[in-house]
Amino acid sequence: MTDVVSAAERGKPQGGRTAIRTQGLSKRYGPVDALINLDLEVSKGEVVGYLGPNGAGKTTTIRLLLGLARPTAGRAEIFGIDCQRQPVEAHRRVAYVPGEASLWPSLTGAETLHLLGRVQGRVDAGYRDELIERFDLDASKKVRAYSKGNRQKVILIAGLMTRADLLLLDEPTAGLDPLMEQAFRHCIHEARERGQTVFLSSHILSEVEALCDRVGILRGGALVEMGTMAELRHLSALTVEATFDGPVPDLTGVEGVSSIETVGHVVRCQVRGSVEPLLQALAASGVHELLSHEPSLEELFLAHYGRRAETQGVTADAG
Amino acid sequence: MPADPAVSAPAPAGRLPSTVVARLTAKKAARSGALWGYFFGICVASSALTYLSSYKTRAARENLVASFGSNTALAALFGPAHQLQTVAGFTAYKVLGFLSIVGAVWGLLAGTRLLRGEEDAGRWELLLAGQTTRRGAAAQALAGLGAGLATLFAVTALVTVVTGRSSKVHFAVGEAVFFALALVCSAAVFLAVGALASQLAATRRQAAAYGGYALGACYVLRMVADSGVGLDWLRWATPFGWVELLQPLTAPDWLPLLPTATLIVALAGATVHLAGTRDLGASVFPDRSSAPMRPQLLNGALGLAARLMRPTVVAWGAALAVTAFIFGFIAKPAGVALSGSNSINRVLSHLGAHGAGADAYLGIAFLMMSIMLVFVAAGQVTASRAEEAEGRLDHLLVRPLSRWSWLGARVLEATAVLAVGGLGVGVFAWLGAASGHAGLPFSSIVDAGLNMVPPALFVVGVGALVIGVWPRATSIATYGLIVWSILVTLVGGFSNNNHWLLDTSLFHQMAPAPASAPNWTAGGVMTAIGAAAAMVGAAAFRRRDLVGE
Ligand SMILES: Nc1ncnc2c1ncn2[C@@H]1O[C@H](COP(=O)(O)OP(=O)(O)OP(=O)(O)O)[C@@H](O)[C@H]1O
Ligand SMILES: [Mg+2]
Repeated sequence: MTDVVSAAERGKPQGGRTAIRTQGLSKRYGPVDALINLDLEVSKGEVVGYLGPNGAGKTTTIRLLLGLARPTAGRAEIFGIDCQRQPVEAHRRVAYVPGEASLWPSLTGAETLHLLGRVQGRVDAGYRDELIERFDLDASKKVRAYSKGNRQKVILIAGLMTRADLLLLDEPTAGLDPLMEQAFRHCIHEARERGQTVFLSSHILSEVEALCDRVGILRGGALVEMGTMAELRHLSALTVEATFDGPVPDLTGVEGVSSIETVGHVVRCQVRGSVEPLLQALAASGVHELLSHEPSLEELFLAHYGRRAETQGVTADAG
Repeated sequence: MPADPAVSAPAPAGRLPSTVVARLTAKKAARSGALWGYFFGICVASSALTYLSSYKTRAARENLVASFGSNTALAALFGPAHQLQTVAGFTAYKVLGFLSIVGAVWGLLAGTRLLRGEEDAGRWELLLAGQTTRRGAAAQALAGLGAGLATLFAVTALVTVVTGRSSKVHFAVGEAVFFALALVCSAAVFLAVGALASQLAATRRQAAAYGGYALGACYVLRMVADSGVGLDWLRWATPFGWVELLQPLTAPDWLPLLPTATLIVALAGATVHLAGTRDLGASVFPDRSSAPMRPQLLNGALGLAARLMRPTVVAWGAALAVTAFIFGFIAKPAGVALSGSNSINRVLSHLGAHGAGADAYLGIAFLMMSIMLVFVAAGQVTASRAEEAEGRLDHLLVRPLSRWSWLGARVLEATAVLAVGGLGVGVFAWLGAASGHAGLPFSSIVDAGLNMVPPALFVVGVGALVIGVWPRATSIATYGLIVWSILVTLVGGFSNNNHWLLDTSLFHQMAPAPASAPNWTAGGVMTAIGAAAAMVGAAAFRRRDLVGE
């Protein structure tokens, strides 16, 4: 809980310099709008989560930021450097970790790290060795002989070891076991302590919830939500469960209340906006016990995904 | 894994899920087989038609027999000649030896790609999902390769039969079909060799290398058998020899099909057996999974290119050096046999040469090695494209390395390899010639080696252009250019074709040194065009998305 509160305080862009800024960034692949008019701003030192269903455009965003793909419209900057026009300058300050690493099968893990370090030009060798230890990687093995998780470790270490100012992570923990996932979270906490900026696309919601100050939710190429966890919660419904001594009151029609379920003496419902009207309605009926919980990121996220079907006709004018 | 088919992953209606590997392999193999079948057919048709237009009179044909018929040096290169006074004999001589090599290389690459390559890419794991055994999967893949071979044969046979129906060519249908069968025999054997090597080796490249050693050994044995030193029985020792002994179109003999079929069955049986004794993704000969750190070259794009290409470059280098040495070594006797032959001189003069003797013979030998060198060039280009297509390039380009520098490094590395290759061929050919007491000057032979470099650089330049503007077509475009050039040269060497057509061949631009002096101006122009193409390619590459396969 405390984590979330501090995140809420830290979360807002605080007028300092921005790490990532995109304006009207769009990408079209043939008939597919992979990304539509993205305006994104990430401050230096922020840890931002980037969520969205498969095919939402997360990878597309990151590839545009890296200049691996060219935008159809709009522009993107990293630390004020144009990503398309000056990719080399921008890349000096960035590390990228993709979710699926296809590496050179004939090189060993150590050779791969050496190569990528030399190309990057800046490596914290001590930290690299520490990471190898922490992620329990046998770096003398050839990439060909690694399991998927071990290949992922190589590419993760290669990204982290540079201590870059901005980490662009696209499902960086895909294929890692829970222990390694823990090690990864530790590294991100360290990066945040050092003032590095982290942009984390992930499907592991608990990971995003634990690490990120702000979260953006992308759907169908458009950014549909962006805010701190607290802000997102505010937008979403609170679940309230009330147990009554006597008969259960009828809550239909109470302002902001929906999805009412009644089982015996227990009522469960969702509240959006202010809880005042509900509390007044409950107080009149002798509540024996009242429980409420804020939605987890997973619930928020599922709520957004769930609305996909309902709002399919509406998404067109969102973009 | 679900054992009950009702709960397993949904299979497309009406298809048994258990044949999925066979179907997939068959589809890919058949596509490739059809393409090469057309190439085979076109070679047959163009040889027959060239003969009819170039050797119209009886005298011209007798002359041809006199110069090529009993020339053992040429027999060592292309295989023996029979009945050159007939269109059938000439066609068989012209294409059988050449297409047997092409077919063997095709079979080897297709076999290793569709077995080891697909398995390495992890596609089998997805497809099989416990529905069949390893043996079953290997047997299915072999069946798929069989379908590819059948397609190759069918298309070749079709074009050959159609060509044969021309009243002047006049091959009987049965003869034409038997000829097509002979043309695909080596492809069949080496498909099976590729399949077996895929079980033994840990990677596709290693499998192709094992198969390549076998192919090289068979070719050398075949050369020895045909070199007229009294070892004719060696023809019975290799698949290439069996193909010759079939003597299609001249004196057809079915007997050599017996060892061919036996070997194929044995190789296929061994493939299926070995597939069952190993794990999916693993090999019989274990690959070293650990290696000591060798960071010397791993300091940037250029060093990485050198490191990655080293095994391929070393293998090609060894093959070129041995070939050059052998060609040089037999230059003297071959030259004696050739001198005074009008037909040979005519062929050479079509290629722009005016030499005779050992120089003339070496002119043809260097042309053949030039073909090898442009294949090295194409290999460098497609390897660069593969770095992008398979996603490895991402890791470099997200770091402070510009696209320009990366592509520049790849082109530079290829240029260095090809220049050293050309020089090396010259030096080894001279060493061979000196060992054979041919008494040829060092400078002219080395010049002939360097003369091979511009066409190869041109291929690299065009390859870089295609990588920039149409990356997915890189393989087709570079290999297409080479195959086209070979075809044009093959046809052009024997007939008076128009200059416009001949000029589209890479090799026609190149003087047939040492039979004539290298044309450094033409070479310079070719290199300059290649460099310009590479520049345009690099400019386009900087402005596009990176694209996968
Ligand atoms: N190279 C490409 N060519 C054509 N379409 C593409 C290409 N890359 C992405 N797309 C399309 O763009 C859309 C966004 O894809 P993207 O990879 O950005 O999604 P994502 O949010 O990363 O999804 P996931 O969670 O599955 O990784 C998808 O509809 C995808 O099919
Ligand atoms: Mg993605």
